[in-house]
Amino acid sequence: MADDYDVQKDETPPASIEEICSATWEPVYRFIYYRVQNREEAEDITQEAYVKAMDYLRKNKVKPEKYIGFLKTVALNILRDLWRKKKRRGQRVDVEALNPKDLALDDPAQASTERMILEQALDSLNHDQRHVIELRILQGYSVADTAKVLEKKETTVRVIQYRALKNLSRILQSIEEGTIHDIQ
Amino acid sequence: MTSNEIKLSDFIDRLNAERKPDEDEHTTDSPELKELYRTVKRVRTLREPALPESDFSQRLVQRLKAAEQHTRRQKVWPWLAGLAGVAMVFLFIGNLFFSNHRNMVYAMEQAFQEVQAYHGVMEVVETNAAGESLSQAKVEVWAAQDGSYYTKGLEGAGAGVVTVNNGEQKWQVLPDVKEVHTYPEFPDSYRFAFELGQEIDEAKKALSVEEVGEEPVAGREAVVLKIVPDGGEAYHLWVDKETKLPLQKESALQKGLQYRITYTSMEFDEAIPAELVAFRVPEGYMEVSESPEQTIRHWHEAEHLLGFAPAGFETAPAGYSLDRIAVVTDEGLVKVYYSNKEERFVFTQGKAKDAFTPAPTAILGKLDGHTAAIQAPMGETVGILSGGTPYGGAGFHSLVWQEDGFAYAVQGGKSQESLIAFTEQLTDGTFEVMDSGGWAPEVEVPVDWEKEKNDQKSVDSGSSPWRLDPAFVAQVFASLKLSPEGISGEYPIKEDELKVVQNDGVAAVVEITNEESPVERVYLQKLVRQDETGIWTVVGYDER
Repeated sequence: MADDYDVQKDETPPASIEEICSATWEPVYRFIYYRVQNREEAEDITQEAYVKAMDYLRKNKVKPEKYIGFLKTVALNILRDLWRKKKRRGQRVDVEALNPKDLALDDPAQASTERMILEQALDSLNHDQRHVIELRILQGYSVADTAKVLEKKETTVRVIQYRALKNLSRILQSIEEGTIHDIQ
Repeated sequence: MTSNEIKLSDFIDRLNAERKPDEDEHTTDSPELKELYRTVKRVRTLREPALPESDFSQRLVQRLKAAEQHTRRQKVWPWLAGLAGVAMVFLFIGNLFFSNHRNMVYAMEQAFQEVQAYHGVMEVVETNAAGESLSQAKVEVWAAQDGSYYTKGLEGAGAGVVTVNNGEQKWQVLPDVKEVHTYPEFPDSYRFAFELGQEIDEAKKALSVEEVGEEPVAGREAVVLKIVPDGGEAYHLWVDKETKLPLQKESALQKGLQYRITYTSMEFDEAIPAELVAFRVPEGYMEVSESPEQTIRHWHEAEHLLGFAPAGFETAPAGYSLDRIAVVTDEGLVKVYYSNKEERFVFTQGKAKDAFTPAPTAILGKLDGHTAAIQAPMGETVGILSGGTPYGGAGFHSLVWQEDGFAYAVQGGKSQESLIAFTEQLTDGTFEVMDSGGWAPEVEVPVDWEKEKNDQKSVDSGSSPWRLDPAFVAQVFASLKLSPEGISGEYPIKEDELKVVQNDGVAAVVEITNEESPVERVYLQKLVRQDETGIWTVVGYDER
């Protein structure tokens, strides 16, 4: 992996740990967060990626413009290892998730397309379902607060939420297969 | 409402709280939930990520510096220089030295036995493939024959950090965060690695020790030895001609880096100064306990705290003393610590929570008829070993077994052999490695030696660690037999469809219980290297 990254040929002194962290942590963290969707795991994996990568970055004088790409690659390897560890603990692991296609989406054009697909899918839901998804997932409301806003029972909110996500899953699959039709 | 509806809602709640979910798309057994969890995560990507607190970059730097310090401790080995106080002993053994491998090591061993405590400054220098050298750290070291030590970082990333193990307690003073972290004194998984005794033990176990020249180090005359360990790359050791003790060590070039560690000063004393090994929390510092253990005075207390009467091993095996008894109440474990001058052991017992499942990398055997598993050194902490203080790596050995609804483990010792001997003495039992007779695959698999050697190098440098796990290697092999066109998605042979039925550390047999698998048993051997760092290679199989 490391060989894929250019090594500096000049005599520039290696950057300090503080300089490297300060300049790179946010895009690396965002990259990981995109895949785990929670801060706790994103922070842990970001730190682990830096621990694994830092020695190589500094000693081999990887060009600074390559730091972020290198760190993202290390982070992906950590995610793979993490899923394998889950498996080692006796849990099933979805090896399909190791597919680079599923892990990519780092390209702005691809991210933009993904966003459009998701918005199109959300638009295809009925009013209640869309509203529940917006409140619960996009705005982070609790079930209780969502129930108050919608003047429904909490149980009802959970049922709507479940059906909405089932529908979304099918809609997203249809969009990606180019066979979108009305699914309500 | 169905359980999936509840699980899905819980999953969303965890993500909303920015916490790691208990179950995710990679671990759920439900295909429906897997899809739903993925969909939730996809929808959440429309949100702006929750960024860490503003001090995250600083915390990252602190973590990196701590890791750097730890890495050096793992890489660095002990050397000793400038030995004046024990010159008489060295004169006595001088004639023995450098005549052959056995005498060289013997001379070091004898010299070290006369050292009660030493105090020195050690420098770690890293050299890259281009020959550029960089001083990584300077560390002040106090170490005593009884195993206690005090280290203080003088320069480098760990500057100011003090680590002490006085034989009763271990602690680390971290001035950056003004905290004192306390740990059990044993097992000491992050023990400082500069001990002379440890270095000499490694030389004793080496495959070969050869004198390759002479070169002064830190102003002292030294002989250079090339040592080929039993597993791993050869390294060089500079031994003081006068003191007959190690002075400098240089690792092999690995991943373009080479480490050289030198004691630039050294003096000897009768003991480590008492004030250095007396536990004290400096003013303004906070004490943070990293130990889940509670020391008790008697077995009856364990019974009261845990609800069961521990098996009676109150009497220490001959030649050992019982140091202390502790309980981990959350895990329902009782631990007994034993030691003699040479070694320490901890015996752990608790109610068995699951069926006996040895780590896939463990050597299997029988302890008085009960299936037992040895890891040397310890790798995975499964079963009873997963409770209490984590002990990873650091050369610890473990032997685990279950009997009458209880799980037992013995950890410690300098070698697999001494662990077995202690356990046999403790339990008044006999351990036998599982018989590897009848090891004959129906179909032999040709071996590409060049590829295997390259794969071993790759694993040595940290890639593909799964090659060290016979169950994983068998899983990949059997899965490819079942899906010869390649594996996409999950392995067709699942983890719970593999059973390591034989493993003597060099040869293993893994049974495949999946009825659709054309392979019933996979035969593996460690062909390139026959120790814990050796990769497993499939050499044959039985057809179903």
